[in-house]
Amino acid sequence: MEWKDVFPVLAGGLVILIVALVVKPVLLGEPIGLVSPGPAAVQKPPVYVPPAPVPSATPFPDDGAAYTRNFRWTAIDGGVQTTQVRIPEALFLAHRETPQIADPLAWGRYAIADADRPILEDLAHRIAPPAGNPEEDYFRLMNLVFFVQQIPYELDSSTDSYVEGVIPRNAVRQGGEAGYSKYPVEMLVDGRGDCEDASILMAGLLDALGYDTVLLRYPEHMALGIRMNEFNPYYAKYTPKYFAYEGKHYYYVEGTDFDWVNISADSPVRRGKPFPIGDADGTGIPGVRSGTPEIIPLHYVPTPAEYRIRPARLPAGGA
Amino acid sequence: MDLKVPKLEKPKLPKITISRRQALTAAGTAVAVIAIAFIGGALLLDYTGDRQVATFGSHVAASEGDLSLVSGKISSLMRSSPDDLSVAECDAYMREFAAIADYGMGVTACHRQIVGADRVPGAYAGAQLAYVRALDNLNRAFSLWSSAAAAYDAKAYTAAKENLARADQAWKEYTAAVEDYDRELRSAEEGGWIPPV
Repeated sequence: MEWKDVFPVLAGGLVILIVALVVKPVLLGEPIGLVSPGPAAVQKPPVYVPPAPVPSATPFPDDGAAYTRNFRWTAIDGGVQTTQVRIPEALFLAHRETPQIADPLAWGRYAIADADRPILEDLAHRIAPPAGNPEEDYFRLMNLVFFVQQIPYELDSSTDSYVEGVIPRNAVRQGGEAGYSKYPVEMLVDGRGDCEDASILMAGLLDALGYDTVLLRYPEHMALGIRMNEFNPYYAKYTPKYFAYEGKHYYYVEGTDFDWVNISADSPVRRGKPFPIGDADGTGIPGVRSGTPEIIPLHYVPTPAEYRIRPARLPAGGA
Repeated sequence: MDLKVPKLEKPKLPKITISRRQALTAAGTAVAVIAIAFIGGALLLDYTGDRQVATFGSHVAASEGDLSLVSGKISSLMRSSPDDLSVAECDAYMREFAAIADYGMGVTACHRQIVGADRVPGAYAGAQLAYVRALDNLNRAFSLWSSAAAAYDAKAYTAAKENLARADQAWKEYTAAVEDYDRELRSAEEGGWIPPV
């Protein structure tokens, strides 16, 4: 074999290589030469950025202007109790200026507002002082329930419901009616409120004592739900009503009224006893007797049910 | 007009004499060219396919590595029980949740782009598509988490709850896509060599 015979073979091979390594990549937009397409322009994945810390709220000064309110109520043993509550004016006004929460599911925020907490803890411990005997816990609880039930009822649309004598500008107007949910200290300053205000105040006071409570929202009423295990006292002349939420039982507690009579025909002074736990008939509202309320938790954080990242197997020969 | 066609002589082709040796050389050359082209092409394709799978694998590994960091953040948050928190603590919990959602969205979007741009052999195309689908679903879930956190911040708890319900559905679709990916990958690895697409 001579060189002139080998030359065409080499030339043919060269043509094939040029076609494979240059012409085809150029036509297909691939890199030229013996390199794989390789990674696309690799971006750097983002890094975790923690949320910026929120400065804690400035506490309302104790020595500034304040509302002082005297409360007089009957305890469940029949004795008359009194106490005084002092509420910084700045806190009250800040609540009045806060826009109303439109979504009822978020109304638990009213009851456990951080700024109200010290006042509610103090008041709750005065209404229901810590008992040495665990059996007295029930009486503590009922004293607190009875305290709230004795606060006069007033509709949101009535100017009498507000210490200023006018409906707050943040009230939600619907038709001729006004709707205004009060923070607990607003209810204490105003000295009156409607069913949702009473339920919010009661929830805030009970939460301050460590009770697990929810708000029970009916189309035409609001009450409180308190978590109890198998509350079924032998003396009850009714079947205690409860609602299940996340596997727990919350018993109905009325917040706006109590079982009362006037002490005499010509006296406005009333005496009575609290509507007991689990008694949903006392209100006389048909929807409460037979309906199922929307349950509004106080401490609500929406959490996903699915959140586990599943590891995927890597291709054999991969990195 | 009297045209006369000139008499053409038959052209004389040069006489080619091929010896047996020359014929064998030519045939051998042709066979050699075909063999070189075939073997070279096959080697080139095989090399390219392996490189593509390795690149795809490295990108999946990088994605999984970053997702495990996201997973660590999620697990840490979910371990801290949100029960009985104060309003300020609930809000801080949800800000952390929003930050993780944004982190997850960024990680999944970035790796989806990288893995989606990979050129893989035909046998691995199903695995690649399934993995990209998994990242897309996870990205959607994180996006809905972010919307839920924004709704919570606006005190629209019902909207937050609804967004999380939709996120749970997207998360289930992500899990299904990862299962598809595993199955497609096993099939590609057991199915032998297929030319690159």
